[in-house]
Amino acid sequence: MVLELTDETFDAFVRDNPVAIIDCWAPWCGPCMRMGPIIEEVAHTLAGKAGVAKLNVDENRNTSLKYSIRAIPTILVFKDAVLVDTLVGLRQKEDIIESAL
Amino acid sequence: MDFDVMVIGSGPAGIQAAIHSARRKARTVLLGKAGNSAMAGAKIENYFGTGGPEDGSALLAKGLSQAEAAGCSAIGKNAVSASAAGGSFSASLESGAEISARAVVLATGVSRNSLGIPGEKELFGKGVSYCASCDCNFYKGVPVVVIGGDSEAALAAELMTGYASEVRWIADGVAADPILVERARRAGAALAVGRPVRISGSAGVESVALADGTEIPARGVFIELGGRSSADLAMDLGIMPEPDDSVKVDGGCRTSVAGVFACGDVTGRPWQVARAVGQGAVAGSNAADYSKGAGS
Repeated sequence: MVLELTDETFDAFVRDNPVAIIDCWAPWCGPCMRMGPIIEEVAHTLAGKAGVAKLNVDENRNTSLKYSIRAIPTILVFKDAVLVDTLVGLRQKEDIIESAL
Repeated sequence: MDFDVMVIGSGPAGIQAAIHSARRKARTVLLGKAGNSAMAGAKIENYFGTGGPEDGSALLAKGLSQAEAAGCSAIGKNAVSASAAGGSFSASLESGAEISARAVVLATGVSRNSLGIPGEKELFGKGVSYCASCDCNFYKGVPVVVIGGDSEAALAAELMTGYASEVRWIADGVAADPILVERARRAGAALAVGRPVRISGSAGVESVALADGTEIPARGVFIELGGRSSADLAMDLGIMPEPDDSVKVDGGCRTSVAGVFACGDVTGRPWQVARAVGQGAVAGSNAADYSKGAGS
């Protein structure tokens, strides 16, 4: 299972992982439910290379506001705690991995 | 209304499935609008027996009458949702009607969901959205525009009135059921006829320009073309679509859910009439057999 972040744990996760991939989602969003298993696969493939987590935007409004998330699913990619890529919409596993490497 | 086989989608795959199902004496209903098929308005040259460029819309119309002559009920309305329960399937139509059946054939084709206008791609995720039900919550108290003339746009316009400060619904032709249009209007969406030509903004959407020169200020633009997407309908029925939105089938056009079959462009490439029709025959026959308990 991929770790679920909150507004409180988000910054520490980004700081502690040289590469952090965060899937911003909500339970009532169809494309987000399809992204779920893809993100699980990404986490499996990048184990030891990147920290992969999810953030429920409905319950964690502050982080969504901070990163101007206006569509879900959105994937945020951080390297050394700097946001380097924002992938909007349903993406294939390969696209996500490429953006993180 | 209760049927043996419900075919969702009125393109070549769905119509052929309905013909085969009805000819097997299964009580068959065909949902969707032939005008939404990729074949509508197209010139068909590479399909067996056509000989030269043939008008796709005319072929669809002929196919529809053929399906009706075989005993199928054709209802020219989109399914807005579907569900599976206790070995039977049901669909809610945009007109509010409920249809149920023992087997389903998904023949919804490939949805065209983008407008292809300047600013659309650039502002995706910065105000441009293709899923009102996903992103409504990010647009509380700001003005939005909903674009599209069919059932998905009507539902999106109605939904957004619960969030946005103002909902302008722009369509260059209204194909949605009048019941849905009325519901959206009553909820407060302002419907206007127009053709969007550009979405403007830098950090986020600021306005939508129409062909007649009108500029509509908006912070959000929801592009909702056609009916409910094949991927959404598949998920309603318990099928997880592939990342490219296609639905996986075996050689008998069976999906991962017993009693649900799929055919045509929704099952993947090549997107060809010949393939759609061939799969339609298989899916329609197998769905009819399944509905009568003969398995497939």
